Amino acid sequence: MKKRGRGMACMWYPIGFTVAANPSAATVKVNTDGTATLLTGTVETGQGALTVLGQIAAETLGIATDDVHVVSADTDATPMDTGAIASRTTYVTGNAIIKAAEQAREILFEAAAPMLSVKPEQLEARDRKIQVIGFPQQYKTIGEVAHHSEIVIGRPAIGSGSYNPPTVEMDPETGQGKPFSTYVYATQIADVEVDDETGEVEVLRIVATHDCGTPINPMLVEGQIQGGISMGIGFALQEEILFKDGKQVNPNLTNYIMPTSLDMPELEVEMVDNYDPTGPFGAKGAGEPTAVPTAAAIMNAIYDAVGVRITSLPATSEKVLSAILEQKAA
Amino acid sequence: MATKTKEVLESKVKDSETEDPTAPDNLKVPAKPALKPVVVPIDKPVVYPLDLPESEIRLRTPAVGQRATRPDGRLHGLGQTQYIDDMTFPHMIFAKILRSEHAHAKILSIDTNEAEAMPGVLATLTGDEIPVNSFGPTLQDQPVLANEIVRHAGDGIAAVAALTEQQASDALAKIKVKYKPLPTVFDPLEAIKDDAPKVHAPHSNIYASKTIKKGDVEKALKESDQVFHKQFKTQMVEHVPLEPHSSVAMWDANGRVTIYSSLGRITLGRDDLARTLGKPMSKIRLIGTIVGGNFGGKNEITTEPILAMLSKKTGRPVKGTFTRGDEFISSTTRHPFVMDYTTGVKKDGQILGRKIRLILDGGSYCSWTSTTLGKGGILAAGPYNIANLLVEAHAVYTNKTTTGAMRGFGAPQVCFAYESHMDDMAHALGIDPLEMRLRNAFNEGSVSPTGQLLQSVAIKESLQQAAERFGWKESTK
Repeated sequence: MKKRGRGMACMWYPIGFTVAANPSAATVKVNTDGTATLLTGTVETGQGALTVLGQIAAETLGIATDDVHVVSADTDATPMDTGAIASRTTYVTGNAIIKAAEQAREILFEAAAPMLSVKPEQLEARDRKIQVIGFPQQYKTIGEVAHHSEIVIGRPAIGSGSYNPPTVEMDPETGQGKPFSTYVYATQIADVEVDDETGEVEVLRIVATHDCGTPINPMLVEGQIQGGISMGIGFALQEEILFKDGKQVNPNLTNYIMPTSLDMPELEVEMVDNYDPTGPFGAKGAGEPTAVPTAAAIMNAIYDAVGVRITSLPATSEKVLSAILEQKAA
Repeated sequence: MATKTKEVLESKVKDSETEDPTAPDNLKVPAKPALKPVVVPIDKPVVYPLDLPESEIRLRTPAVGQRATRPDGRLHGLGQTQYIDDMTFPHMIFAKILRSEHAHAKILSIDTNEAEAMPGVLATLTGDEIPVNSFGPTLQDQPVLANEIVRHAGDGIAAVAALTEQQASDALAKIKVKYKPLPTVFDPLEAIKDDAPKVHAPHSNIYASKTIKKGDVEKALKESDQVFHKQFKTQMVEHVPLEPHSSVAMWDANGRVTIYSSLGRITLGRDDLARTLGKPMSKIRLIGTIVGGNFGGKNEITTEPILAMLSKKTGRPVKGTFTRGDEFISSTTRHPFVMDYTTGVKKDGQILGRKIRLILDGGSYCSWTSTTLGKGGILAAGPYNIANLLVEAHAVYTNKTTTGAMRGFGAPQVCFAYESHMDDMAHALGIDPLEMRLRNAFNEGSVSPTGQLLQSVAIKESLQQAAERFGWKESTK
């Protein structure tokens, strides 16, 4: 008989390396037509990092996502970056990009100030314009200002910056310290169906609410959460490298079973409204934490459905069934 | 232009070798689609528009908060993304790596003579030829190619570069390696015993430890209304990126080497290459391409120094792409954990104290174990206010596949334990699991297990938002 159950799990997860320095640097150059080039040493590993980093540069310069071209991942051409690891790219590289873009923007403000007969500190960059704060009708387009600065004054609008999250060394005896600058939080709730005659678990629905600070690009955060859940389902129910005498017996995708689209439940993904004052425009990160609570939520749902506590992953049908039979025997 | 292309893509490409599928007549959608299978002629280029249609969202200001589409998405969709295995260079050759059949053995000899005489083979390489034959992000305990001892069935021993991948694979079978098998240990709980075979003799198998201590946990457990204990275990899993590890190395006539790599961190990757190749960083160019999935598995060098040395020996660009089998047995995996949780609570669900012991199966080499140990230990108590805490975490070498970074660095393992444990306690105390969590969860300004004042905390908000969206209260049995 198939039995329904629900289970929840919440988690916390840090952004960046544990204590160790993990800096990023960035360079931003505003072209003479008001578009810009961002140089970053990080790598696009499929998560959409370059899109998000381009949005951060664009926001600082008051231009659109499409106005920024991102050049990445060439040690001959791009500044150092600790890389696509530890859910750090949005937070650490993003903060470096803001510093770089602010430096380029300052050059634009200094060029625009005499053009608009104000002081540089009276200016802001918005909607592809350099405009007087409080008097948006007093403006020059970013392209006009960048062209004037580079071609007439001879001062190209280019900036560089770096960022490293502040941490405090942990005490070796007690572990007391500040290993990370900030953390994210999340909850996932799973609705499952367990067949008590076969032990088969079907995940019907997962609700996921994740805090990532300000979502720089909500669509890409949703993508990360959906992908993380699929990894979490594999970890919970299917995936396991098996050994015999120290040799892997299933090093292939025929015998190492991963979730496919047919195994995916209905997903309801939401972001939790939050703002981290230390992050770029309030952002933290979203990469790894999305895969963290899924297995725990599913195990709690299995317990709710059939009353057995699975204490070792993955909860294969064989394992769930033997736990059910053991419980009946007891 | 986009519409026209859609027609091209949706139209039937006739399976005639002489007919041009892009001729105007063939651009029309047939009135009644034929049922013949679509045959794409391989000698005809794929046709797609060369101008990106404007994406209105990408043109909006302010940029932050926009659901902006990705500039690489269109190339992925059209199959136009150049992954490393799509790249080709003049005179490029291919490398394959021979891997250990033994989980633990001393290498007595490696004979590559017969392999070198095989058709198409241009060079072989063993660990003795690599200037600094070790690497690793924390401990440099892993050989690029093992030349003394193999510590798991998957250690690379020798490489072959040949004109084709098949020729390189065929030549691997001709390499003769003599081993002297050594005693093995696979279970981390066995490996921590004093008399266990040593994976990195003479050193202890316990190669990293972490302690987090707060308050007086023994006193708190004594004062608790109820104490719960359970052991949890997790398994070894692979990242399984769609794109396996792949690199191309080109050693040029100036002695400078350019490497295209699927590595996710090129700055530190170049540092590792400079060290293993014994070259100044300025003589190495590392280019990270669009990566087909990383998930922590592509955070350290693998074959890059091997390909660079084979390129130096042959004067040709050398490509090395892992098979799925290589990916499983030679790349890193997620640490199996053995987790003992003891928690003391009051009747109302408040956690007074928690004691945790984590044993990490560190596999054959350190890789990113120290980070996994640290994060796993720090996060192990969960997002809860627990005044009295003791976490002891140890990483242990075994003769198994190397465990390293994988999405969460220990967090998915400990979350499985602390959240399963949480539900067990809630059920025993007759408290709703949501309520049990809300009573203990961090607030803004809570102090973490390491004594850190937490800011931008949103754990209770996420719990309540999820419960509301799920219909938690309504679905109570």
